[in-house]
Parts: sequence; structure tokens; C-alpha cells
Amino acid sequence: MERTLQPGRLTRSLGWTVICFLVLPILVIFPVSVTDRRFLSMPQHGISFEHYANLFTSPEWLGSIGQSLVIGIVSAAIAVTAGTLCAIGCWRLSSRAGEIVRAVMLVPIVVPTIVYAIGIYRFWVDLRLLDTYTGVILVHSVTGIPYVVITVSTALAGFDARLEQAARSLGASVPQTLWRVLLPSILPGVVSGAIFAFIQSWDELVIVLFIASRAIFTLPRRIWDGINEHLDPTMAAVAAILILLSALLLVLDLAIRRRREG
Amino acid sequence: MTRLQTFAEDRAEIMGLRRRTVLKGGAALGVGTLAVGAAGFGGGAQAAPKEVVVANWGGDAVKAMTEAFVVPYEKATGGKMVIDGSGPSNGKIKTMVLAKNVTWDLVDSGLAGTGELGPAGLLEEIDYSIVDKSKVTPGFAYKYGVCNYMFSTVQAWDTSRIKEKPTLADFFDLKKYPGKRLMRKDSQAMLELALMADGVPADKLYPLDVPRALKKIAGIKKDLLFWGTGAESQSMLREGEVVMGWLWHTRGVLLQKDTNKKITFTFDGGLLQPGLWAVPKGNPAGKQAMVAIAAMQAPEGQVKLLAAMGNGPANPAAAPLVPPELNAINPGAPENVKVQAKIDADWYQANYAKVRQQFLDMIAS
Amino acid sequence: MTADRRTSWIMIAPALVLVAVLFFAPLARVLVISVTEPSFGLGNYAMLFTSASIQRTLLTTLRICVFTTAITLVLAYLVAYVLTHARPAAQRLMLLGVLLPLWMSVLVRAFAWVTLLRREGLFNKALEALGLIDHPLSLMWNETGVTIGMVHYMLPLGILPLWAAMRDIDGRVLAAARGLGAGPVRTFLRVFLPLSLPGVIGSGLLVFIFSLGFFITPAILGGGKTIMVAEYIDTQIQESLRWGVGTMIASTLIAAIFLLMFVLGRIVDLRTLFGAK
Repeated sequence: MERTLQPGRLTRSLGWTVICFLVLPILVIFPVSVTDRRFLSMPQHGISFEHYANLFTSPEWLGSIGQSLVIGIVSAAIAVTAGTLCAIGCWRLSSRAGEIVRAVMLVPIVVPTIVYAIGIYRFWVDLRLLDTYTGVILVHSVTGIPYVVITVSTALAGFDARLEQAARSLGASVPQTLWRVLLPSILPGVVSGAIFAFIQSWDELVIVLFIASRAIFTLPRRIWDGINEHLDPTMAAVAAILILLSALLLVLDLAIRRRREG
Repeated sequence: MTRLQTFAEDRAEIMGLRRRTVLKGGAALGVGTLAVGAAGFGGGAQAAPKEVVVANWGGDAVKAMTEAFVVPYEKATGGKMVIDGSGPSNGKIKTMVLAKNVTWDLVDSGLAGTGELGPAGLLEEIDYSIVDKSKVTPGFAYKYGVCNYMFSTVQAWDTSRIKEKPTLADFFDLKKYPGKRLMRKDSQAMLELALMADGVPADKLYPLDVPRALKKIAGIKKDLLFWGTGAESQSMLREGEVVMGWLWHTRGVLLQKDTNKKITFTFDGGLLQPGLWAVPKGNPAGKQAMVAIAAMQAPEGQVKLLAAMGNGPANPAAAPLVPPELNAINPGAPENVKVQAKIDADWYQANYAKVRQQFLDMIAS
Repeated sequence: MTADRRTSWIMIAPALVLVAVLFFAPLARVLVISVTEPSFGLGNYAMLFTSASIQRTLLTTLRICVFTTAITLVLAYLVAYVLTHARPAAQRLMLLGVLLPLWMSVLVRAFAWVTLLRREGLFNKALEALGLIDHPLSLMWNETGVTIGMVHYMLPLGILPLWAAMRDIDGRVLAAARGLGAGPVRTFLRVFLPLSLPGVIGSGLLVFIFSLGFFITPAILGGGKTIMVAEYIDTQIQESLRWGVGTMIASTLIAAIFLLMFVLGRIVDLRTLFGAK
């Protein structure tokens, strides 16, 4: 295959041009984060690290990062547990019903967020869950489940069902089979799902603007606040650090994939 | 999340510059008085009044309102007041009221809020037996809202591209001053300024000739950009995207500072508007909300808000307390009031919902 | 067998209950408003046919989404194709470029584009310095700007399913075609392209659906004049308090998405689209 339809030089350079287009805005964030002005802009007279200093000394920003971490980790954990079990269940069913369940699970990423936000806001008003960790974590778990179902289902597609049957026939219980046989081989899918679930919680703004007020002030909400104040460049510093962290996570993810692929 | 910011929402930003200089010292003082107040009232035998929750638009307005209002209120009444900066949008208030679980007592609103929420039965009427009407600039106390501060919509311009002070009519003269112009993504004040540019005298604006205003604006629509948040209006002028724009005076003040007066503004031909306290229907603290409004009518707190964010005091008694250097940016200062038009709340009550939609449709078409 | 099925359903239950109770129930409650407010009936839906502004918003949304999807697909196909045929090291680097923006806040991205595209932005300055233009180009505050920002957001979502589809194409089929005397262009057009078509449709659908509900990017890059349907809904719900209208449009949007999935589901196997095959 590699040889049969090798893209020409033109095609290849066009492909890389698109990649440059993708990376371009990311590269802009780094110079903006060291701007010497007090609003989001390219540096004018020199570079300054005051926005990084502000980020690391401000209790507000640090508090928001902490909250987002807690909410992201807990909701990712819930989403991964429920989503993985669900994907395995559907896979085991291997019937029309399983397919329908999988399709239903995907709806949360398809519905425009603003519509869901108003619905869950009303629900949380009724249940007195506004502005609580529980409220935000539950919502982010639910919106994270689809990503896990997708990635785990993909991983399961490559798994030989006979392995599970063999384990069962050798006397292993269902939980044992799952834990010892199935999980290790779909782990990359589970990990990718966990990362996606975490990131979508970490980056979620629209719903949080509805259901959080005094106690919960996540990072996206802090960034939003900074944008509305005076285009606070601290958000560029946050973004720059986040990009570096994401890159790190991505390299990690790719390394896991590579190991899986041998 | 709404991209169209209200003035109240925007006041947060004004603090960006001054927070460090003014408030840090003030906050320390504030904490001191708070402690004194608590000690003075904490031991009282009578039941403490219910906690009052004030919702505003977050950012530095939380600190500024704490300093200007919470501290004096707690000192005066022995009650407790907290500020919730999560943004009391009309949609949120409606949801709370419909669910019969309201968590806010007072919301930082404006005619856009009371005009939509009041007629829909989602607000309590202001109780003027508790709130003192004489402590409000005449014409700014309404059924569903009472003036909390004043602000203006003004014309700002880029002096590097416009040498002489432009008139409102120049805003529509693309030959005289080529370049893009900036308006707010909302009909409020935009229609008034457009009509004045078209020759309608400031005191004969209402009832607004909406078709005439819309037609005037539509004529230069190709060269218009529209802002949703105050920060947006500020950055569009600052970065040279537009040559002039209609925005809040508080942003004009910041632009003068940001750019060493390369961008400047005038109150001439502006529109004076009120920021309003409104009370959601079935608020938890009941009448205590009205007591809180009354407490916040004290002129001292209102002057503090002017110093911190540029919001003009609502109480005429505050005028003598305003330092002369702040009068230049005070939309309610007599010399500034003289050159501006004043918004008509009754007209907004009756027409705003419909007219705003027409305005948005005109933009989108 | 039945015990086994029961175990499967027990595994499915937690997620299903969570999504049903915490997603579908609140959502349904919102959508019901579209037929009850201001009065019971389909009055709000009639506005789809009578309100010029709603039609215009829907049309603007449709236009931007179609352009975004088309441009994204062409670019994504290109990248996926190069990616499929690249050496492992180049592949990893390329993949990094594809995945990195996927994890970057949509807010931050929008403002990065503002820095690049505005009148005195980096792009216009660079073009002026090169002597290519006299006057700054209007790259932003219009549909061009919105489309650029959206294509950027959607590209990774378009590339990944396409890449997955292309990886699955059996190299032996292509080799056979070449062996039978077909030239590279012919092999591509007659064999590779048709085989990758399900992937094209799948990622096109994904991109289109995501684009329909887009909010932040158009609001920031559109200069206030480009109002897409999500922003329209938001205004109706948050400010104008015309909830009936807002939820009616939302319901219409959701119905359109499901219809689209249903129709395309008859043409291609949608499970490939979500990787859940």
C-alpha cells in the first residue's frame, strides 16, 4: 500500500501546509503570553513575564485551576467507569439493541450545549444542586460519557471475542474476565477516553456559566471573566502552559498507542 | 452565556486599572469597619435580619460593591449581605422564579432587564415606602426598578484619523471620515443617537421614530461593526479596527488612559441611562431587599462606586461629595447632564422587546 | 445466554441511567416548552415559515456550515491522505499537529485568530510588508473570519475519521489495480476514492453537525453581524425571554440533526463514523 499510491511532492507539501494552518494560532499564544501590555496583544516594547507571575501568585487563578482539576478528574473517573462498562455491555450484546444504546449515548455531544444548559439549570434549581461540586461533576460526567463510549468501542472492535469466551470456559468469573483479560487489551482506548472526558470537563464553559455562581469558579469561567474585564493576558499564559501540558499528554498518549501497536 | 453584555456586567472591567491603587487601601479599611460593625451588632438580642444576596456581573464589581455597599449596609443594619458575581441574566431569573426557588434578593439590572422581566410578572414592585424616592435623581425611580447608578452611551473617536471633534452626524458621513464605525449589538441608545444624528432634538426623541432610526443605521450597515461586551468595544477602537464608535462612557475613560488620549470621547450628544436594582419575584429575604436598597442610597457608597468604576451616583445628594477631578467622568454631573439626552423608561417598558428584535433583524439581514 | 445478556445490560445500566436522567429528561423538559409557551400548540413552529429573521438566521447558519464542511473535507482529505502514506516518524509529528489544537480552549483559539486576522493584525502586516497589498484585507468581522475560525476548529474532527477509514483500505486491492495496468490517477479515482467515500461522508456529517450548534467562534469573529442559530437561541432564552421561540428553534435543530443521521444512515454505516464498528 505504501508504494502503490504514494502522494506526490505537491500533495505532501499541501498536507503540511494544512498542518501549519492548524498549529498557527497555537504559536501565536506564546508571544501574546509575554506581552508587556495589560491586555491581550503582541508584545510592543519588550517581553514581560508578569502575566505568568500573576497566574502563579493569584489565589483566584490558582483556586480555579484547583477546582477545575478536581471536577475534571472526578467527572472523568465517573465517565470512564460508566462509559467503559456501557461500551463493553453493548459489545457483548452485539445486537441491534446494543447499537441503539451506543447511538443514544452519542446524543449528548450532538445537541447544542446552550439548549442542554437551560434544561439542566432548571433541574438543578429544583434539586438545589446549583453552585455545588456535585452538580458540576454530575453534568460533566454525563457529557464525558460519549467520548469514552466512542474510544472504548473502537478499541473493542479490534478485540477477539473468543478470548473472553476462553477465559470464561476456564472458570473465570465475569468480573475476573473483565479485569484480567478484557481491560488490559483495551486499555489504550480507556485511557484515550479518560483524557477526552477530562479535557471536555476542563474546557467546558457554557454550562458552568449557568450552574455555578459563588462557590464554583472553574478555569474556563475565570478565563471568560478575564476576557470580559480587559482581555486579561493571563489567559494567554494559562493557554501557553496548557498547550505545553497537552503536548506532553499527547506525547504520552502516542507512546501508549505505539506500545500497543508494538 | 450571553455575548451581549449589559452595562452592569461591564462595570467589572473598569476596575481593571484602578483596583490596585484605590481598592487595596480601601479593602483594608473596609475589613476594619466590617469587624467594628459585627462587634457592634453581633451581640444584639433581637433576631438578625435575613441575609441579602445581591447578584451582579462578577469580576472586580464584586469587590467594588462589597466596598461601596456591603460594608455600610452591614454596619447600619447588623444584617448580612453577600455579592454573587455569576451574572443575573433574564433567562436565569425567569428560571428561578418559575421553579419557585429564587436565590437572589437584588439583581444589578437595567431597563433591558426590568423591561422584559417586569411585564412578565417576574419581579417584585419596588416598595417606595421603604426606598426613598427623593434620594433618586428625578425620573429614575420606576415600578420594577430603582436607579442604582448612572451611565452614558457616548461617541468616541480616533484622533489620529479624525482631527476635529466629530458630531453625531459625522458618524454617518463616510466621505468626510472614511473607515468603519462601531455600535452596540442592541437597540438601546443606538436608536436615540442615530435619531439625534438625523436631526431630532434631544428633548423630542420619545416616542422614538423606530423606522427612521433603523433606516438611518441600515444606510451605513456595510461599514458597521457591532460589539457585545465592553471589553470588545474598547479593543476595537484601541486596535484601530474602527475610526469611531458608540460605547459606554466608562470604556471611553479607559480608552483615554490606554492610548494617552489618542482615543477620546465626549458626553455631547450622549444618552444618560440608569443602572437599576430589581427584585426577583419571591426573593428569599422578602422586604429586607427593600431595606437593603434604601441603605445603598447613602451617597458615600455611591461616590466610592464612581471612584472605583466610573458609575455616576444615583442620589443627587452625592454631588457635593464628588471630587472635582471625578466630575469630568461623572455622567450625572450637571455640566454633563446638560449636553445629553435622557432615556425614557416608559417607552422602553412598552416597546423594548419588540424594537430590540427589529434591531437585531436589521443587523442580521 | 440470557444470564449473559442480563450481565451485559447490568453493565450498560449505569451509563444509560445517568444519560437518561441527567441528559434526556432535562432536555425533554426544555423542548416541551416549544409547544406550550406562550400557548399550547404549534404556533412557535409556524414562525419557521413566517419569520423572516429566523429564516435568515437559519440560512446564514446553513451557508456557513456548508462552506465550513466543504472546505474542511477537502483539507482533511488531503491531510488524511498524506498521513496514511507518511513514514512513522513524520506520521507522529503530523498527528501531533492535528491533535494539539483539538485540546485547546475554543475561547483562546478565537482570540488567537483575532490577533492574526484583524485589520492591523499579523497577517495583514505581513502581506503589507511583502508589498502584496496596499490596503488591509477584511479577513475578520465577517463570514470569512467565522469560516476560517470554524474550519480550524473542525479540521481535527474531520481528519481523524478519514484517516481511520483510509487506514482500513486494503493495500492489496490497490496493488491489484496497478497490476492490471491502471495508472496512479485512475487507481486513485476508481479504487481509492470510492473506498474512502464512507469515511468522507462520515466525517462530513460529523463536521456539519458540530458546525450547526457553533456559538463562541461566530460570536467573537463575526463582528456582531454574523448571527448563527446557537447565538439566536441564546438571545431568545437569556435576554428576550421568548423561550417558546428559542426552544422551537432548538427542537428544529435537533430534529434536523437526527433526520440527517437517519438519511445518511441508510447510505453508509454510521457506526464507522463514531469508530464504534
